[in-house]
This record gives sequence, structure tokens and C-alpha cells, in this order.
Amino acid sequence: MVTVTIDGKQIEVSEGTTVLRAAQSAGIDIPTLCDHPHLTPYGGCRLCLVEVEGARTLQPSCTMPVNNNMVVHTDTQKVKDARKFVLTLIFSERNHFCPYCQVSGGDCELQNSAYHEGMTHWPLQPNWQPYPMDASHPYIILENNRCILCRRCVRACGELVGNYTLGFEERGASSLLVADTGLPLGESTCISCGSCVQVCPTGALIDRWSAYRGHDEQAVDTQTICVGCSVGCGIDVFTRDNNLLRIDGNWDAPLNEGVICEIGRFKPMDEKCDRLVTPMIRKNGSLKATTWDEALKVAASELKSHSGDGIAAVISTRQPIEAMSHFKGLFAKALGSDLVTTTEEGAYTESAAKLADSLGKAFEGKLADLQSADGFMVLGTDLVKDHQVAGFFIKRVLGNGPRLLVLDSAENSLDALANKVLKGKKGALEDSLLALSAAVVKLGLAKGKTSIKATDLDALASKAGLKTEEYLDAAFVIAGAQKPVIVYEKGVSPAALNDFAQLVGATLISVKGNANSLAAAQLGLEKPARINSHKALVAALGDDEVSQKMVKDFEKIPFKVVIASASSALTAMADVVLPAANWLEQEGHYLSLDGRLQKANRCLTPAAEVRPTDEILVALAETAGFKLENDWTQELHQRVAVTEIVK
Amino acid sequence: MGKPKVSTDWMAGCAGCHMSLLDMDERIAKIAELVDLRSSPITDLKVPDAGGVDVGVLEGGVNNTANEEVALRMRSRCKVLVALGDCAVFGGVPAMRNFFTIEESLRRAYIETESTDESGKIPNDPELCVPTKVRAVQEVVPVDVFVPGCPPDADTIFYVLSELAQGRIPDMKGDKLDWH
Repeated sequence: MVTVTIDGKQIEVSEGTTVLRAAQSAGIDIPTLCDHPHLTPYGGCRLCLVEVEGARTLQPSCTMPVNNNMVVHTDTQKVKDARKFVLTLIFSERNHFCPYCQVSGGDCELQNSAYHEGMTHWPLQPNWQPYPMDASHPYIILENNRCILCRRCVRACGELVGNYTLGFEERGASSLLVADTGLPLGESTCISCGSCVQVCPTGALIDRWSAYRGHDEQAVDTQTICVGCSVGCGIDVFTRDNNLLRIDGNWDAPLNEGVICEIGRFKPMDEKCDRLVTPMIRKNGSLKATTWDEALKVAASELKSHSGDGIAAVISTRQPIEAMSHFKGLFAKALGSDLVTTTEEGAYTESAAKLADSLGKAFEGKLADLQSADGFMVLGTDLVKDHQVAGFFIKRVLGNGPRLLVLDSAENSLDALANKVLKGKKGALEDSLLALSAAVVKLGLAKGKTSIKATDLDALASKAGLKTEEYLDAAFVIAGAQKPVIVYEKGVSPAALNDFAQLVGATLISVKGNANSLAAAQLGLEKPARINSHKALVAALGDDEVSQKMVKDFEKIPFKVVIASASSALTAMADVVLPAANWLEQEGHYLSLDGRLQKANRCLTPAAEVRPTDEILVALAETAGFKLENDWTQELHQRVAVTEIVK
Repeated sequence: MGKPKVSTDWMAGCAGCHMSLLDMDERIAKIAELVDLRSSPITDLKVPDAGGVDVGVLEGGVNNTANEEVALRMRSRCKVLVALGDCAVFGGVPAMRNFFTIEESLRRAYIETESTDESGKIPNDPELCVPTKVRAVQEVVPVDVFVPGCPPDADTIFYVLSELAQGRIPDMKGDKLDWH
């Protein structure tokens, strides 16, 4: 610990702390523009200059580490004059005329800084040099004329997302934010995560959807979680007058710490669907609007007449645990259906859950393990396309030493970043894994036991369809790490993978699928949806979709109840359609892929006749004369989870 | 001492700041009690007294030689000069043409604009003023009080005028400071 005096206040901080962070920890405000608490200090804007006793010149507090007994002044006239001068220079460089900028009026850190310093005007006028603007991206507009060269976006793109799309070309006043080697943003390697927009202090990077639709102070910020996939990122949903304005990553969410992906940030804005706003029943061959009472009565009486194994019941894994639990309670317990499952049919969880059952304990690790890992093996999953934030955790540390092995039969977007790629024959991932185990043994890097011998390598390698050397190279990448993590999805049995993980001392993580796939597994909703003599169908889709195959299978069921947010091929053939809330209009709990139990909060009010799926199920049960009395908190623990469930 | 004399004028602006001045509703009567409004573009007398006024208020930037004359005349006839609104303070919307050459702007305005047929031509009568780069007032004459805003709120204008009327220089900070 070192002691530093800032504005007369004695502060004790750990060695290596910057003056800025030390001041902030003591509640002393130093204005900054290029600094961001989640990015490495850069020292680009010079707004945070402070006076350090004994130093020849003013020092940037964001990059200056404290020394013991350092004395710092943050509000002397010299410092104040310097701040005004720095702002004057920034304003003079580009087009910072406020009236037509989206962020003017509270959301611009540059404007706020000027107000803070009491600037009524610009002592220097701009030099009227126009810079290019780039509107080629579907979600993001890059306006270089408003850029202050703070490089927060560049740091976010690299340090947080590991995508390294954004960078700067030229120097000084000619510096220009560019994507890749100067490609239009829309044609670049940008993956549309929008982290750059979230950190931009000015209007240089704005998103098309929320632009000019209101300032943050006019919006309501609801903290919730994203249900786009099983990672379960914390998000801030900004709404105004019950309209969705914008979604940001929640900086305080312990897992994702502000980072989210395209699916979480932009897809919900881009949603084009035909919302269902009223219950409907089929009369004389066509769907007609009706009341909730009548729709529930028709559904309940028909379903009751098929109780026993006449009902097939399928619920989306995007639904909260409460709805899943009630769904199971109503159809499996009260109505005795033999087919109560999810739209995923346990595809991503069933075999792993069985392994946990037979082991009698959890065998998977946590996403946080990715952040401290020094080696990765990604197997049968493309983390650039799905579960992207988990992919960010890997991509962003690859430059710092950790190594990556990709094992896949198809093309994988992480191939280009991998130290080693094993492209085995289709369906031969498990053989590849055995060959890899033999290679680990041969290299003498085994940390656990295995029945596979080094002498098996040649035979196993040829069976898997790759050269022996390939496996030796690959084995070195994964087994050479001290804390390796293996991320997998499908194509290989969890049991075989668990054996391999123990051999190389690795943590296993499966990505699972949808937001609540793990909860569905805990509730035992994982049967294949095999339709045979079923007479009635209940599909609780919410805002999810079902596969073409499922639609085809369901077609032959005579009576169909569909609980959904939007019209689809399935609602078109339904006999009763019940309009359900989408993910932003209802609340409930979700179990992330690594077992974090989180609550999603309601951010929007649904249309008058639209109800949350859970409420619909309770009403349907009541109409059918059942009272649902199940405790989902207990149901979650009725079987061993693949990973420990934590709150 | 009599009531302070005030004159206002406008240049390359949209008259919005003067509209905002009127937007102070019944408080305009209070201003009339406090000051002697000598001239303004929205009263009968348009030109500040040759003998001088206490406070001169200018709306708009300086975008041609005629505006230059207005600015110089106001500066030479007033003691305290107020730049009212974003155009006067920064250059504002008209200043966006500074990112192009004057020839480009004139061509766009008189020849290429959608409502003009092939007979469009750039006016060149020698009696006309000559367009220049758009400048903030402070680039042409010294300014004493900057009142940014597009337009500044009526409350802000009332505050500025009532302070000046009482012989004080207004302190533009907090919610008075809004560049819009």
C-alpha cells in the first residue's frame, strides 16, 4: 500500500493504482473523456491533467501511477485553465456543433465536460475540415466528424470483444477511425456487437434504432438479463413510453461486465413479426377473435377429454422456469400426458444430464473459468455465431498467451484464431478425441489416468482420418496448458469428453442452447417429441420458433392449442391461439449455461389482451379445474445438475 | 441614471432567438420596465442609436459583407455586446456551409436546388453583399457575453437581460448553459 494526498485528502491505495482511480476511490471527481473503467488507460484526451507537486508539468492522472507520499492537486487554477484549453483544442478539431447531434443535451460526455468547465463558447473556431462518415452498417453509424480520437471504441473492440476490427489510420488531426484496413464498417469483420457504440463518449458512433428517439434521462432503464442464449448476460433495457429504445450491456453484471453481442443488443430492435393481440378459436374452418374466457374454456374442455397419453405438450426453452414448471405440472401431472418436453427435445442437455446422474455430481465448470484459463479447446460449437459472449472471453485473451485448439468437422469461425485446428471426418469427433488422448499420453503430458496407450496413436489417428503429427501438435496446445478449458456443444459424448478433461486437467463447459435449456433439463423436460397417436397438442412457444420438422409433425394432431407471441405456420393451423407476452413483457427466472439462477425483469407492458405464458398456463389449469401447486425452486434440485447451481 | 438602452439586431440566423425572447410571455413587460428598448428587427426602429446604447444583442453568425456591417455598427454603438444563440456564439447551422466552398454552396442554392429549372443563375449584381465564410460574432468583433442555445430558453434570455439591466454581467452556468 502507498499513501497519496489528493486535494489535501490522505488516501491509501495499492501500489500501481493510477492517480485517477485513487481520486475516484476517495470521491474526488477528475473529468475524463478517453478513460473508461473497463478499458486499459490510454492517456489520449489530456482532460484529466492534474498538478503533482515536484513534477515539472501537469500530468495525466489516468496513466500516472501513484508514488508513496505523492501530493496531487486537481482543482488549482492551472489545472482548470488546462482543462478548458484541452476542451478548446478538441472542439476546434472537428464538427462539434451540437444542435443536430443525437447525443447533445445530456448524453454527450464532451458537451457535459464543457458545461462542467463553464464554457460558454469556443475560444478557437473549428478548422472546417470535413471527415468521412460511414453509414454502411445495418445498425451503426460512424461519423468521424464527431470523433475526438479517444480510442475507447478501438480498445473495446480489441480488449473486451477480441475482434480487433476498429483501428486508426494516419496521425494527428488526420487520424481516422477505420474498420479493418479501411473497409466500410458494413463490409468489414465487424460482428455487430455494438460495444463501440456503448463506450463512445460523443455522437461519433451511434446506433440507428435509438438515435434521435430520446435522451437517457427521458428513458426508463430496467436491468434484466438477455434470453438470447444460455450465457445469460446482464443488460440494461432502455424504454420510453413503453417503446424499446436501446439495449446496453450491464457494466455491473458480474459475468459479462458490460459486453453483449448482436443477438442481445440489436436483434430485438430488428424484430419484424406479426404480433398476436387477441385470443382466437377456430370456427367453421377459420380462426376468429374471441374472449379469453371462451378460448380457455374451449382449450380446457378439449384437452381434458384427451387426458392420459392423448396430449403432446411442448414448451420453448426461452420461457422462464416458472412457466416450465407450471407447464409440467399441468400436462404431466394433472393431465397425465406421456409427452411433455421442450422445443429443443433435450438435444443439448440430455446426454450431459445423464452423465451427471451416473456420476452423482456436477462435472462442468463456470464461464468465469474462461477468464483465467491459459488454454482452450473448442469442440463442435461455433462461438462466433452462437453464445458469442463466451467466444469473446476466449478471443480477447488469445493475444496474451493462452492457446486455442479447435476440434470440429465443419468450418469453425474460430479456426483463423486457433493455434491448431483439427478437422476430423464428419461424425468422427469422438475418434479424434481418442487419438488426441493417445497423443497426450505419448507426449507425457497426461495429468490423469486413461486406458489409452501411446502405442494406440497411429491406429486411432488413421481411424479419425488425420495424420499422427496433427494430434501431437494439438495435444501440445491443450495439454501444455496449466488451466485449460474445454467448451463443447455436440458431436461427442460428454462421458468421453469428461475422461479427456480429466486426462489433461481441464474444466468442461457445454454451451447448452437456449436461455433456459439447463432448467428444462433439471425439470426433466428432454424427451424427443415423437408424435404417434396424440390427439391434442399444446405448444407454448412465447416468442420462440419451432423447426419446420416439428410443424410438419404437429400437423397430423387433430386439436392444437398454441400459446405464442407472433403468428407463424403453427398458429395458422391451430384450433386455439392464446396471445403471449414476449421476453421483455414478462418476468421469471432463468438458469444460465453455467448454473447461475437469474431473474429476468419485465421491461415493457404488453398489449391489453396479451398475457405472460406463465399466467396463461395458470388460467388454463384453473379453467380445467386444477390447482397448480409446484415449487420450481425445489424442482430445480430434484436431480444433480451438470454444473453447480448458484444464485 | 435612466433605464439602460438596449438594441438588438439579427444576421445569419433564423429569427428563432428573437422568437424565444418573445416567448418569455408577460415577463416581457417586466423587461420593458427595466430597459429602454431602442431598436430591434421586430420593432419599428431597426437601427441602434448613433449616440450609442448600453447593451447590444446580436443574433446569428456573420455570413456576408452586410452582416459584417451590422456587427461592426452594433459593436461601435454599444457598451456590452451579447452574442445570442448558437449561430452568434459558434456559427451554428449556417456555418455548416463552411465545410464546402462558397462556390459549391451558391451552386447548390441557386442552380442545383430541386425547385430551380435550367434558367437558375447565381446572383452577381454589384449592389449585392458578398457572401463570406460563416463566422461566429467573436471572430469579427469582440463579444462580452455569450448566450449559447438553439435557441436559448426564454428563461435564460430573461435572466441575461434582467442582469444586464441591473448593471451586472450574467454568470452563464448550470442550467443557463445549454448549447442544445
